[in-house]
Amino acid sequence: MATQADKVYVLPGDEINPALIPSHPKHPLRLGPGLRHVPPSDLFPTTAGQLVTDRRKNLIWVESNGGRYIPAVGDLVIGTIHHGAADFFYVTLSDYTSNATLPQLAFEMASKKNRPQLHSGDLVYARTHGPRAGVRVAKHRKGRGPGPLSEGMLYSISLGMARRLLMRKSAEEGKVVVLDELGAAGLAFETAVGRNGKMWVNSKDIKTVLVVGRAVTETDEKSLTVEQQKKLVRRLVKEMA
Amino acid sequence: MTTTTTSGPEALLSHLHSADGSATFSYAGYTIVGAVNGPIEAQRRDEIPEEAVVDVVVRPAAGVGGTRERHLEGLLQSTLRQIILVTNFPRSLIQITLQVTVAPENEYVNTKVVQANTNLPILPALIQTAVLTLMSAAIPLTATLASVVIAATTEDGSNREIINPTAREIEKSRSLHVFAFTSHGDLILTQSEGEFTMQEWEDMLASAQRQCCPSTSGDVNMGDDAASGADLGTFTRSVMEAKIASDLYWK
Amino acid sequence: MPREAEPSQNEKDFILKAVREGHRLDGRALDQFRQLDLKFGEQYGVADVTLGKTRILAKVTAEVTVPYTDRPFDGIFTITTELSPMASPAFEVNRPTETEVLLSRLLEKTVRRSNALDTESLCLVAGQKCWSIRVDLHVLSHDGNLIDASCLAVVAALRHFRKPDTGMEGDTLTVYTPAEREPVPLSWLHSPFCITFSFFGSISVGEDGEEKDIWLLDTTLLEEQLRVSSCTISMNKHGEICQVAKPGGAPVEAVTVVQCSSLALQKVKDLSDFVDQKLAEDSKHRNKGGLLAELSADNAR
Repeated sequence: MATQADKVYVLPGDEINPALIPSHPKHPLRLGPGLRHVPPSDLFPTTAGQLVTDRRKNLIWVESNGGRYIPAVGDLVIGTIHHGAADFFYVTLSDYTSNATLPQLAFEMASKKNRPQLHSGDLVYARTHGPRAGVRVAKHRKGRGPGPLSEGMLYSISLGMARRLLMRKSAEEGKVVVLDELGAAGLAFETAVGRNGKMWVNSKDIKTVLVVGRAVTETDEKSLTVEQQKKLVRRLVKEMA
Repeated sequence: MTTTTTSGPEALLSHLHSADGSATFSYAGYTIVGAVNGPIEAQRRDEIPEEAVVDVVVRPAAGVGGTRERHLEGLLQSTLRQIILVTNFPRSLIQITLQVTVAPENEYVNTKVVQANTNLPILPALIQTAVLTLMSAAIPLTATLASVVIAATTEDGSNREIINPTAREIEKSRSLHVFAFTSHGDLILTQSEGEFTMQEWEDMLASAQRQCCPSTSGDVNMGDDAASGADLGTFTRSVMEAKIASDLYWK
Repeated sequence: MPREAEPSQNEKDFILKAVREGHRLDGRALDQFRQLDLKFGEQYGVADVTLGKTRILAKVTAEVTVPYTDRPFDGIFTITTELSPMASPAFEVNRPTETEVLLSRLLEKTVRRSNALDTESLCLVAGQKCWSIRVDLHVLSHDGNLIDASCLAVVAALRHFRKPDTGMEGDTLTVYTPAEREPVPLSWLHSPFCITFSFFGSISVGEDGEEKDIWLLDTTLLEEQLRVSSCTISMNKHGEICQVAKPGGAPVEAVTVVQCSSLALQKVKDLSDFVDQKLAEDSKHRNKGGLLAELSADNAR
């Protein structure tokens, strides 16, 4: 199964080599996406991808890129307000799927008398909560915090790219440096990344937004390496000037 | 320019941008483009309270779909439902569109739009495309599938099995059979037409099993069977691995 | 019934602002087409057109049938466009959307009504036997500008197509197989192409506040969702207009349409040359293959 030294690729229904499943004396085994537990003790992959394990945290999952966003609890997402009701907003997370609900009182500083004023078509940055993708606003570690996103532009990116951009060390672990490079080149902009494959970019200058959007989507579509990303940024910045 | 059964299978994955998953698969003279969208919102009238609806659309290269396509859709739908984890997505829809773009043409009948009189030979290519497309869309599956067409002919008084027959061989055959197996080696679909005995069917089942799941049927005689047709299971694996590797190039 | 994806207010505002300043998301000029590619299939009459992320496949088939009783001297020529859920879940089987109706209507007017294909040449025996030529159009991926790309695919596929040769001896009609006689191309009169202009309102230019319409060529799906109106001009490389369609939407200055049509001619010439070149490449490639195929056929015998 293993084609290279430490990369294990699996297809749905494959048997997983028991030696690869981490075992930890204290933590229970935690299954990530792409795996299915068949009682009593069988473990099968459900998607095609690379089997990744973290022995320290006793985690195992199948990493793949592709498909539609399937909501999971705790994901940071960018949604579009579809319509509002008495206490909720209905939010679209991806095309052609059912709406998620966003309580109006979930916003920071919101109260019964001071409700957020959002209209159909507005963007919100939020965290998913609850089993069927209820959306709730929560605090965020870095960059832009959750809440309404005004102005700017929304770009669609692949789910894998969104995960890479959301990594704590996106440059080292995710090998994506375009945003850092663009910042280093002196561009002033603001971004928010949603796990549902969306990226919001804002800046005072329209051209900056366009350059940032093109840099990220091109990196995503053409699978650029770190070196190629740096080259792309240099070229785009030069074109802009 | 017609059936070239000897050429190996070819596939291209996730090449259509608007669908969640897509694949183009060419094998045994057929080329099929597949796309999957889902899980998306199901229509009220179709939705199932605790499971996903699986919708299969088969479209011919020329002309509009008729009973032949509806029949194939029915077979595919009930087969694919078994390997898709439908209970993961209640009240949603998984939509599979399979567009035939090239079908082997019979050179001798070219004044009519060629509608093969039998539905079966295209089934393996459709099944394979659907599975590749579902994997490209990362829809959770319990297993992958492999399938094969076998024709039984009588030549000079002796019976013979032909694996992956050409259009001409099908025309001359006595009976035609399609078998599909899951990657666990279980038989999931069998369709037969023509005249055959129970014993013949069992023999063909055995050779189909050897063809589709070499690992489970004790791979002693790999050598002589491997030549009779490409092993689709191994092919699927290598195509998927190449795709995953290029997707996760940054890992 | 699945909801068509509607762009957010932020996207609408941004794209309009950018277009007004002369910028597009992918960095193209306002009148620039995306990367265009055309591939022919192994069989005659299959054209695969890729325009950016839009991909369209056209397939031509021919069969002998009985002509319509009111037109005994004409063959039958039909173009079928059925959008499948493959292009977008919004397209349902057997339920044509507005996009689909408009597309088939425009292709009908551009290719069929402009007499690009000489239907009289399809007649075999007056009132009894004729060829029925059918084009099936499959949209594999939809990212805007379906009309221009589809028209190109249909024209390319028809020009690439070869129908079996026929012969009359007394009262018997013989249709020869490709092995007996080389198939023959259709009697093709001219190649029309569609150019669609998408309008995005107007801006004032110059000191005197003169209004000028802004338009884009080869729009992406997102741009198409935001346009205020569109106009499709079909013509051939000789500058003969086959049809002009402006199906409603915001009004535009008549002068703009005139300007558009002269630009359309320039684009049509480019497309026409492109198709000619691809057809020439294919026939060159095929000739080489033809010789080889003959040799191998001899071997088989």
